[in-house]
Amino acid sequence: MKKTFLLIAMALAASTVIVMTAGATSKATPGVTAKSILLEGTYPLSGPASGYAPIPVGMGAYFSYVNAHGGVNGRKINWHYEDDGYNPANTVQITHKFVEQDHAFALVGGLGTEPQLAVRQYLNDNKVPQLFVATGATTFDRDYASNPWTIGWQPDYEAEGSIYGKYVVKNLASAKLGVLYQNDDYGNDYLRGLKAGLGESHQSMIVSAQPYDLSATTPPAVQVAKLKASGADTFVILATPTPTIQSYVIATKLGWHPAHVITNSVSATDAFLTIAEKSGSDNVEGTLSVGYTLDPANPIYNKLPGMKLYRTIMAKYAPKANANDGLNLYGVAKAWNVVKLLQSLGTSPTRAGLMAAARKMAFTPGKKNANPFLLPGVSTFTKGSFQYPISQVTIIQYQNHTFQPQGSLIAGRGALR
Amino acid sequence: MKRYTHLIGFAVLVAAVVVAPFISSNYRSYQLGFVAIYLIALCGLDILTGFTGQISLGHGAFMGIGAYTTTILVVDHGWRDLWTIPVAGLVAGLIGVAFGLPATRFAGPYLALATFAIPLSLIGILKRYPHFTGGNVGKNLPQLHSEFGWHTNPSIWFYVVTWAVALVMFPLAYLIVRGRFGRALRAVRDSEIAATANGVSTASVKTAAFGISAFFCGVAGALYAIGITYVNPDTFPIDLSILLIVGIVVGGAGSLWGMVFGALFVEFIRISWGPGILDLFSKVHHIDTHAPGSGLVVYGVVLLLVLYVAPAGFAGLVHRLLTGRSAVAAWAKPRPPTPTDPATGAEGP
Repeated sequence: MKKTFLLIAMALAASTVIVMTAGATSKATPGVTAKSILLEGTYPLSGPASGYAPIPVGMGAYFSYVNAHGGVNGRKINWHYEDDGYNPANTVQITHKFVEQDHAFALVGGLGTEPQLAVRQYLNDNKVPQLFVATGATTFDRDYASNPWTIGWQPDYEAEGSIYGKYVVKNLASAKLGVLYQNDDYGNDYLRGLKAGLGESHQSMIVSAQPYDLSATTPPAVQVAKLKASGADTFVILATPTPTIQSYVIATKLGWHPAHVITNSVSATDAFLTIAEKSGSDNVEGTLSVGYTLDPANPIYNKLPGMKLYRTIMAKYAPKANANDGLNLYGVAKAWNVVKLLQSLGTSPTRAGLMAAARKMAFTPGKKNANPFLLPGVSTFTKGSFQYPISQVTIIQYQNHTFQPQGSLIAGRGALR
Repeated sequence: MKRYTHLIGFAVLVAAVVVAPFISSNYRSYQLGFVAIYLIALCGLDILTGFTGQISLGHGAFMGIGAYTTTILVVDHGWRDLWTIPVAGLVAGLIGVAFGLPATRFAGPYLALATFAIPLSLIGILKRYPHFTGGNVGKNLPQLHSEFGWHTNPSIWFYVVTWAVALVMFPLAYLIVRGRFGRALRAVRDSEIAATANGVSTASVKTAAFGISAFFCGVAGALYAIGITYVNPDTFPIDLSILLIVGIVVGGAGSLWGMVFGALFVEFIRISWGPGILDLFSKVHHIDTHAPGSGLVVYGVVLLLVLYVAPAGFAGLVHRLLTGRSAVAAWAKPRPPTPTDPATGAEGP
């Protein structure tokens, strides 16, 4: 008899929990009240990609700064982000919450190619802006026609690859390229760009291109050995951070000292290259990559107004963060663009208006309204079928533990503006 | 009498399931759909872990196998998603049997370690054959939409589908663990030597339990893919397998009713309660609630509290509240420890 009570009690308790978790009802204007605009995003605050956690902190610091100075057209920005652990299953559920329960005005800066791919169709079906995703996968910019509510921000991997190609043709005309690339969309985006940048007539400069699988449990030693044997004198690494670090170390162990090393920007950070150096690689110094934001780790930028403003904002609104971590600056720079778009919408912002503004941006040095947190001269520009917001970068070289800019800006897509 | 009480309990559960979408927001219904999915998976794992005493740290991978079966059939072969659910269960079940044949020769922690290899190798295999699985980039499924001429919110549709399946699988689990086969499972759990002496083939019972639990997880995985509308290797991390074990322990291993609570816990602690508790904290103290990993701290603290208050899970807690007796002492007769002893041995429902 006691079991009867037990079971009924448990079933009743279960139904009570279900009732208690019942949620709120919907509002008329999603995310916009008389006093606030709700922006939300998903970031990996835990798990393998949690190194990117400073980005939303930087964004929040800039939004707080804007709010303290009157907000956007009288409204405060309400910035809310949650941890998806880089697991698309979490991203999807949290995104449903943002859209259906929180009624966010827009989802801003969601991080990661796969997590953002997982929610792209859902957000487009629901006509919710998927603004400035934090990934360089070309599809987020290129496929704007089939995904009108989605737009990227940073230079796409294909464009970055093409910049290396152009740079090599111009500056390393006799180089023999040995390319290591990840055998998936990420690596292929880069390789396709590299070939396009070299152009038809110079593709023979690639003497060997070796793919590796991310799933492989061993470092890409065989591939690096083949590149060495091919006689290449320029090592092009189009890989994610861990295989990149391993490649540096393997090359040194094999006694390969290529004249130049080019490493894609995702893996070419101070932190990763320092690890490669400490792991015994002597090929790190002189590594070439690209940059497009100011670099708080490099003192040469300290006199620029953008860097001064950045340090002021970080000191006041995110005092516990490490302001020398470039990921905070990435967040601040992106938030600057978000605020500019919101300001342009006037007093009654709509989601459609936000996307229309994002599709026709012109924050350029020529108009004297360029993003102050990007390298001088870098514009955020979109128009018509050109939907690659940041497409200009500068070549940077690793010298004495910081990256030094080399020469002028290069356009990965279109012309310099 | 016993069957009668279970029928009443089941009727109350059905009533709660019918009422819930009318009093919940659409998003809550969507979440409760995932509760149904976890309920199916936990019932399956409970048959293996709670009733047979075999700990598996790899059943998230069987959800992955089910999810990929559904995805590949829907995306590449044009199947209707609902029809793939039984196929996904069968594929996962067969792989479960194939794995169970050698693996169940191990006992206790050795088996747990062997099962740990399943999600590890699944991730590698998924990335190794990108033309078949979509590789790291994964595959997008069609968005949720109501079918059969019924027009309703996609979240409600998802809720109806998942609970319709769960309300079939839940009694199915009950039918499996009662009767002759269920006694064989519990005999293996309580003492392999005694079970063998009484004519129970422990190896085949364990293998069957492995296959059945994998079948349940495969069905759950199919619904998971339909609800997430996307699969890639990151969708089925090792954490998922651990989460299922957590659900079993929190619900109360060896009790199917406890799995309802386990499923609610597994779904809500990470997505809703964790961030909610963090928000409360940030209002009281000015601490950085968005520091990397802070969500996991809440999860860990809540888990410890639950295990302190209810060492035999929610099922044990309810039992103790009603009877005033410790669940472990009341439910499991004292017996000499055997190598396959689970931490909490509870009698069947």
